[in-house]
Amino acid sequence: MSEMNQLETPEVESKPKKRHMGIKTQRVISNTIIHILLVIMSVVWLVPFVCIVLQSFRVESTWQVGYIVPQKWGFDNYIALTKTDFFTWYLNTFIIAVFTALFQTIVVLCMSYTLSRFRFRGRKGLMRFMLIIGMFPGMLSMIILYRILADLHLTQGNAVPGLILVYVASSGMGYYVSKGFFDTIPKSLDEAARVDGATRMQVLFKIILPLAKPIVIYTILTAFMAPWADFVFARYISMNTSQGMNVAVGLYSWLNKDQIAGKYTTFCAGGVLVAIPVTVLFMFLQKYYVSGVTGGAVKG
Amino acid sequence: MATVKLTNVKKIYDKHVVAVQDFNLEIADKEFVVFVGPSGCGKSTTLRMIAGLEDISEGTIEIDGEVVNDLQPKDRNIAMVFQNYALYPHMTVYDNIAFSLRLKKTPEDIVYDKVTKAAEILGITDYLLRKPKALSGGQRQRVAIGRAMVRDSKVFLMDEPLSNLDAKLRNQMRAEIIQLREKIDTTFVYVTHDQTEAMTLGDRIVIMKDGYIQQVGSPMDVFEKPVNLFVAEFIGAPKMNIMDAELIVEDGKYYVHLLGAKIPVDGFKGELLKERNVAPGKIKLGIRPEHLTLTAEKSEKSFECQLQVNEMMGSELHLHVVLSDGEKMIARIPTINLAPEQRAGLVAGCTFCITAEGKAMHFFDAETEKNLIFD
Repeated sequence: MSEMNQLETPEVESKPKKRHMGIKTQRVISNTIIHILLVIMSVVWLVPFVCIVLQSFRVESTWQVGYIVPQKWGFDNYIALTKTDFFTWYLNTFIIAVFTALFQTIVVLCMSYTLSRFRFRGRKGLMRFMLIIGMFPGMLSMIILYRILADLHLTQGNAVPGLILVYVASSGMGYYVSKGFFDTIPKSLDEAARVDGATRMQVLFKIILPLAKPIVIYTILTAFMAPWADFVFARYISMNTSQGMNVAVGLYSWLNKDQIAGKYTTFCAGGVLVAIPVTVLFMFLQKYYVSGVTGGAVKG
Repeated sequence: MATVKLTNVKKIYDKHVVAVQDFNLEIADKEFVVFVGPSGCGKSTTLRMIAGLEDISEGTIEIDGEVVNDLQPKDRNIAMVFQNYALYPHMTVYDNIAFSLRLKKTPEDIVYDKVTKAAEILGITDYLLRKPKALSGGQRQRVAIGRAMVRDSKVFLMDEPLSNLDAKLRNQMRAEIIQLREKIDTTFVYVTHDQTEAMTLGDRIVIMKDGYIQQVGSPMDVFEKPVNLFVAEFIGAPKMNIMDAELIVEDGKYYVHLLGAKIPVDGFKGELLKERNVAPGKIKLGIRPEHLTLTAEKSEKSFECQLQVNEMMGSELHLHVVLSDGEKMIARIPTINLAPEQRAGLVAGCTFCITAEGKAMHFFDAETEKNLIFD
């Protein structure tokens, strides 16, 4: 060690050598710091989730205890869920999320393709208008939307179609990310396909969408996630009617003073089941989050 | 196989930007026509209007006698090769070439036959299962040509297909396009900004500037009989030397006064000047670099110049010289005509005399820049 020090000390003045060593050491230090930070952040993020999972398997008490790892393990809390409205809420949420994802994806992609590829009067004005409107919080429209949905009898017990309608109706405004992606796909591909005999619809489905797979997946995931995790709007529209609640609203209803003591661990079990579809979706679709599918399309 | 006719075609962008103006052209069946001109001259816009990728502001475009102004690209029976290849990156080479056939619901066995035949002609059979990103620039361009070939279209449009290739590959592909033309035997419209490509490929060349056609003619015509100064300078490399000179008439014979030299205009050009009764006066004189010759001594027909740069091109020298009035010229001198000591003497700063024959001169109006004997 001392020998190394002896060798290194005179080299402090030798600029190129010092810089070379410095960069290497710097990289090691910064990588170490980054990894330590990432581990800490992962632990911070994972601890609540691990706690919920562990508590969902706890059978010795349905109320909060002063430890994390259950003393007695079992599926009692999951079985208890079957005796509640949980699966009605779950089904409601699933229906809302699937239909919203389906319709919203179609609307967003068509809107983005139109704004990216067609030039029509008022196009820029429309884009700016939608961008500005999108900046206002959706909550502002809650009361009027409730009135409209109430007139259409789409609240309380009928909240599911009402919520689908609300989520899908505003979806065109989420065009920005996918339009940006479509803009990066060379227009000459559209033109080549049109010369080859494709209609605009065929261009979208056979050329653009296969190339825009990451953005299609992104649109589906965000369209699915928003209604899956929505609480405020869903609570307002369902108005304490269990039949029209989604899981977030339903599970929250167990957190009142009267029920929490007997339902805390059941609530955790419900929380775990809520996370499963989203986790599975991400696990299967994350591989599509790759760029470079347009590689080789044009001279690069 | 088809004729293409453009009548008074005009393209205006955003109500005021005129891209193409009064474009009138008839392209014969199986003819190879090249649109050439500098960037922004409207050549690609015109091609895209023929393809149906741009709307026509005014005028009509006919393909095989049918007005196609309002037809979609797919209904015009055309094929197009794009500058940036425009290959579908998620498809294999085979699928790229087969795409148009499958859209027409062609039976798969016929698709196979056509794709493999095109691939054989273009020498890309080994790459049929590759994706475009695994191909080189030249291979990609072949695939793009293959995709256009299998359509058996009436008109074959090519928008600067070689401009993304390196010089060596460009020469090779240019030769291949000439061979391909014989095999496909259809009407070609080809866009390029490279005058060498235009000269070597086209039956006729359409030279454009600022949206207007400047001249339409065979490669030889536009080279020998440029109708104006722009065409004269655009066609030929290095470009034609243009100088201020004076045309004079003595005893019914035309002479050019240039920097003290008095060069007689002999031959058919002199006859044409006489025939047209061209008035003497200030003119723009054009002389191609290859038509200048070095002279041993100063004579009445030669003028002095000083060498600035000597570019050795192998078979010839490109001599960049300055004339006594400060104008610059380039002379192309074949090295075979120079003795070794002459070549060695041509160093920057040396002075010598050059001349040109009257028949090699081009005469342009000093005001209108139009050719005084050809139009």
